Amino acid sequence: MSAKPTLVSVVHSEWIKFRSVRSSVTGVLLTLLLTIGLGALITSAVRSHWSQSSALRRATFDPVSTSLSGTLFAQFAVGVIGVLFITAEYSSGSIRTSLAAVPKRLHLVVAKAFIVALVVIVVAEVACFVTFVVGQTIFSGVVPTASLANGAVLRSVILAGVYLTLLSLVGMGLGLILRQSAASISVFTSLLLILPILTLLLPQSWQNALNRFEPSQLGQSMMSPTVTANTLSAWSALLILVLYTVVVVGVGAGMLERRDH
Amino acid sequence: MISVSHLSKRFRKTTAVNDLTFDVRPGVVTGFLGPNGSGKSTTMRLILGLDFASGGSATVNGQRYRDLVQPLREVGALLDAKAVHPGRSARQHLRALAASNRLATKRVDEVLELTGITSVADKKVGTFSMGMSQRLGIAAALLGDPGILLFDEPVNGLDPEGIRWIRDLFQSLAREGRTVFVSSHLMSEMALTAEQIIVIGRGRLITQGSVDELTAGAKDEVYVRARDARALEDALRAQAVAYRPEGPGFVVESLDAEAIGDLALAAGVALSTLTPQRASLEEVFMELTADSVEYSATASERP
Ligand SMILES: Nc1ncnc2c1ncn2[C@@H]1O[C@H](COP(=O)(O)OP(=O)(O)OP(=O)(O)O)[C@@H](O)[C@H]1O
Ligand SMILES: [Mg+2]
Repeated sequence: MSAKPTLVSVVHSEWIKFRSVRSSVTGVLLTLLLTIGLGALITSAVRSHWSQSSALRRATFDPVSTSLSGTLFAQFAVGVIGVLFITAEYSSGSIRTSLAAVPKRLHLVVAKAFIVALVVIVVAEVACFVTFVVGQTIFSGVVPTASLANGAVLRSVILAGVYLTLLSLVGMGLGLILRQSAASISVFTSLLLILPILTLLLPQSWQNALNRFEPSQLGQSMMSPTVTANTLSAWSALLILVLYTVVVVGVGAGMLERRDH
Repeated sequence: MISVSHLSKRFRKTTAVNDLTFDVRPGVVTGFLGPNGSGKSTTMRLILGLDFASGGSATVNGQRYRDLVQPLREVGALLDAKAVHPGRSARQHLRALAASNRLATKRVDEVLELTGITSVADKKVGTFSMGMSQRLGIAAALLGDPGILLFDEPVNGLDPEGIRWIRDLFQSLAREGRTVFVSSHLMSEMALTAEQIIVIGRGRLITQGSVDELTAGAKDEVYVRARDARALEDALRAQAVAYRPEGPGFVVESLDAEAIGDLALAAGVALSTLTPQRASLEEVFMELTADSVEYSATASERP
């Protein structure tokens, strides 16, 4: 009698699936390229304009989050990684084969989430640390710099990678709910880009109260070493983003569990 | 063994499966027949736990599919050959499946060999022809060496050689004592492959039995022809025999050949043809499902 399959076997299976399609590899490379490449571009631009910067700009300047600016672009790449890992199963129809092989549907969700989170956190942390170091090197001598020896700075860089990881899981959850690549990516993009614009329609006092809860603003809070007005502390922001992620993935898992395939 | 008991499935408007009860036994190929839209695929999805039944139950080896610990070792299924990520190679697809059920990796090579696709195993599935995809689907179904196999329209898109290959494979799988359940909307195909037949229409069971039993139930007819057709018809009519004209002759429905011969002799009519005809399985099928064809060509003419 052979060994019984466990959640670990499902994780192994999902790992084979993940690494055997080009979109995953592209997504990973794009995450590295966008984070590090655009980070270098933005920090270079800041450096060359530093002498003309206003006093206010200099006083509020944060070398940490500025060097991590590439994550603003990479967040879409990780979202797509999460979305496609689910929606490709629906567009190809292989979801039926997957569910026939793993009738415990929640195992499939947990295994997929584990693989997405594992891959993205490794890639994102590498990207964030590299872009931080590259950014500070570009700043040095002209623009104020930050050091990883400072606990708050280290935390910001680490949480930047965690931010990207949680967003990839949000993408996965949206994929589970919507089952369609285009729809899922549109909703994901809207949450990050359109939501902040929509809140502009609200009265200023509401904006001040609500903006801090937007996903992109949570990201800013997580990767800033200091707390500014109308924003949350890094840890509160992390907590809230984890909550969003759990809700989206949870709803997606619930729908997978109940749906006909 | 597959057991389906009072199984029903309603979608929003349609009742796809309606109080269906049947068993599929091991050791023979069982054909699952019905016109388009009669609920064959839905029944298979219900057996595999992919869809949730509105009523009744379906079990494999006495267990609900979703309770199986190592499903691929007990049941192998091919629902849609094209339902594989096009960017993955055949080998990677099978490896991922094998890993999920902790099957030995060498099984992947074995089923690739068995289905004759070893040479294309590392090509992307998106480039596969229909025949290659069907073979990959069958390889996936056989991966866990399961005792129960389900195939939904496996011969679709295959050339005659591929069809013969599949037919032989199914029969040898059944001879090994496995349960082989194959759906089709072509009776002629099933007549050659299957020993047992389950016929459904509009989600309901119409009939089930062996191929012989099904054709035995069909009425035997005799084709009869005489040079003097008028005289023959008069003789038939005089004896109140049920018949219908066909071509230059008649198909007699209520007498056997011997009785017709006697009748003709008594009437002094010389017969030129006297041929008993057994209704083919295809005709039996058409007759059985005539009332339950979902999308018949004449449907649009009805008011
Ligand atoms: N997911 C679904 N949602 C709504 N209706 C469905 C769904 N799946 C099947 N149906 C309906 O259920 C009925 C049975 O469909 P099914 O696909 O099971 O038939 P089939 O016998 O496999 O047909 P075919 O020979 O064309 O493959 C059809 O009327 C179909 O439209
Ligand atoms: Mg079908």
